[in-house]
Amino acid sequence: MTNSVPEFSAYTECFLITGSNTTEAHPLVASHVMEGLERGAKLIVVDPREVQIGRLAHLYLRPRPGTDVAWLNGLMNVIITEGLADEEFVANRTEGYEELKQVVLEYTPEQVEEITSIPADDLRKAARMYASHKPAAILYAMGITQHSTGTDNVKSCANLAMLTGNMGIPGGGVNPLRGQNNVQGACDLGGLPNVYPGYQKVTLPEMKEKFEKAWGVTGLSDKVGLQVTQMIHGACDGSVRALYVMAENPLVSDPDINHARHCLEQLDFLVVQDIFLSETARLADVVLPGTSYLEKEGTFTGTDRRIQRVRKVIEPVGDSRADWEIICQLGQRMGASGFDFASPKEVMEEIARLTPIYGGVSYERLEPENEGFLQWPVTAPDHPGTPFLHKGKFSRGRGKFHAIHFKEAAELPDEEYPFILTTGRLMFHFHTGTMTRRTEKLHQEVPEAYVEIHPADAARIGLDGQKRVRVSSRRGEIELAVRVTEYIKPGVVFIPFHFAEAAANALTHAALDPSSGIPEYKVCAVRVEPVSS
Amino acid sequence: MAEQDTLIEQIRAHVEDKLPALDGIVALRRTSEGTASYLFHEGDDLSQLVLNPRYPLSTTVSMLQKRFPEARFGIVARGCDSRALVEMAKRNQIDPDRLYLLGVACTAEEAEECHCATPAPDIAQWPQAELLGTPVEAGSPNPIVAEYDAMPLEERRVFWKQQFSKCIKCYGCRNICPVCFCEACALENPAWVEPGVLAPPFPTFHLIKAMHMAARCVACRQCELACPSHIPLTVLYDLMRRDVGRMFGYVPGDDLEALPPLSLTLE
Ligand code: SF4
Ligand code: SF4
Repeated sequence: MTNSVPEFSAYTECFLITGSNTTEAHPLVASHVMEGLERGAKLIVVDPREVQIGRLAHLYLRPRPGTDVAWLNGLMNVIITEGLADEEFVANRTEGYEELKQVVLEYTPEQVEEITSIPADDLRKAARMYASHKPAAILYAMGITQHSTGTDNVKSCANLAMLTGNMGIPGGGVNPLRGQNNVQGACDLGGLPNVYPGYQKVTLPEMKEKFEKAWGVTGLSDKVGLQVTQMIHGACDGSVRALYVMAENPLVSDPDINHARHCLEQLDFLVVQDIFLSETARLADVVLPGTSYLEKEGTFTGTDRRIQRVRKVIEPVGDSRADWEIICQLGQRMGASGFDFASPKEVMEEIARLTPIYGGVSYERLEPENEGFLQWPVTAPDHPGTPFLHKGKFSRGRGKFHAIHFKEAAELPDEEYPFILTTGRLMFHFHTGTMTRRTEKLHQEVPEAYVEIHPADAARIGLDGQKRVRVSSRRGEIELAVRVTEYIKPGVVFIPFHFAEAAANALTHAALDPSSGIPEYKVCAVRVEPVSS
Repeated sequence: MAEQDTLIEQIRAHVEDKLPALDGIVALRRTSEGTASYLFHEGDDLSQLVLNPRYPLSTTVSMLQKRFPEARFGIVARGCDSRALVEMAKRNQIDPDRLYLLGVACTAEEAEECHCATPAPDIAQWPQAELLGTPVEAGSPNPIVAEYDAMPLEERRVFWKQQFSKCIKCYGCRNICPVCFCEACALENPAWVEPGVLAPPFPTFHLIKAMHMAARCVACRQCELACPSHIPLTVLYDLMRRDVGRMFGYVPGDDLEALPPLSLTLE
């Protein structure tokens, strides 16, 4: 996130929320949004599903899934043609405006209506509302990123925020809501194929040298590694022979899981480190029991770059060990140096030494009687941290507008597979259900998978009161319960992906965004048929 | 502030005096890991005993007394804790004879913030109790209640519908309530509330909770503070308390001897 969650309750005058089921997937962020609404802030929600926060919106726009660049360009079209852009910001802090303008001028509200099915006047109203309330914050989640055009979607959000001067001010910005408690931290510390901790590129010779020196080794690779989805393909074609999976359950969460299972079965050796015997762990040669958050020390870095301590409440149960201990012991047994840490605190000392954006982080500063938390970049022990980014200047100098044209999703509905399937999450379950489906109370709330379908579509497929349907795509089929609801757009069906026995990802498409490698979980073509019980 | 400092010192000194004669005293403890309810024993670091942030302690006492049926515990109790314990005692969830109550009077600012009608425990009704601090005047009544009273019926329906459409069914309001104790909760019973939908069905989820709070809610306001969706729950509960007062002359938490009218009616 460019900005901080508490700014939503304190400063934001207009929220543009898209591709985020905020109350269900990020309830604590939603709490700050609601406080902002109580204060009188405006809310625009753009989503093919009328998610709970959409029902609280002043303006709710319902696009066809996979058309985000089109409506974002449409908003900018209205803002430019009606003279609502922040000209001073554009002139002083950005570049590439003329190219952007040329492209977005092609996206008139009427044309956007044709592509997205958002009524032209609603688009105009949304553009005026967003542009005339400052600070305005864009909040998005996987509904924007999980597309074959995910990177384009994100850049378009940034274009919109820059065009209206909503960068570098409290309460504004472009704010991706990261899902897991520490996914931000995992990326920050190099859990990506192309960077060392702190987004220091592996391809730069000076970085290679820096880390070789720090770790007392030679020959660190200066090549970009594999993205998750590439590893799975690699397992299939034999270029990857062993895989070590930590706290992930790709056999439920990967796209096209029938294919993913086939690939993992080709591996010579599979190690899974998890707190439960997940679907993926069942396939493993070795399972290493990790610990839950209550059994370990360390830090979590939240979605607004906020580094906080996690503390051990009970000793690890059974033979389980903290993840850092497992990794260090493996390193030691492989004869590597540099794994002799005595505690997570010592690990953080190394992180601070080698990672400029974490340079001023220490466990002392994270104590509640001191700062309690720090938001990176925090470059030195006396640096206060950074609640919002890009104040006065972007990291690259001027903010660059990207002129982007709309592209259709990889797979569109046709006669054989007439519906668009979009997938997502529920309040009562977390990710692949490894933890929440073992929790009785949460299981009672939603015990099984279901598909949401609009009443008109239900009539069209002859559902006629039947409770179960078969949903199939070119890649697989599942049988599951059905919920008929007007909250979903006609022509679109929604399936939460938490349920292994009726896995939405048996249906999804493994088309990838070319730069981020994110699969297109939010659009694929399916057929829905009633099943007589 | 200085007054508060000396009050907390007095409380800590009293706790230290009383601990040898008890099996522990329930209070809030602050450590680097945060603040939580805690059973203090002799020798514990009493500088960690605090009064804020407020958190209801009656359910902790209830759980401890049930787990240790012979033990005698103490509690550092604000007015709302004491009122909650009174209602819990009437429903056999705590045993007053095995409880020492160290009452604490809230400050005028606290009373105002909570719109509290009785900002200090009434220690006279407890078998063993003391009071520290000087009781202050009642806070002013919750202004939203008057605004609500002025609304025509249809507007009230719209008001609640809008407010409850924000509910994310986190159960926080129920979990924090100091007088909520049933093991099988009606809010989790699919016959009453359809599971797994957001917002939870209007108005059953919230009105079932409200009905169960009639003649029980002690106006501690914790539910409203806990609500992540900022729903003004105490308006609902203040109105409920007012109605129960008018109809049955019953004020929950006021009198350990008075029997709750709804339990009597049902029996
Ligand atoms: S105010 Fe809320 S939490 Fe407190 S007793 Fe009443 S219902 Fe329970
Ligand atoms: S605390 Fe608020 S959001 Fe949570 S269940 Fe109660 S009313 Fe709903």
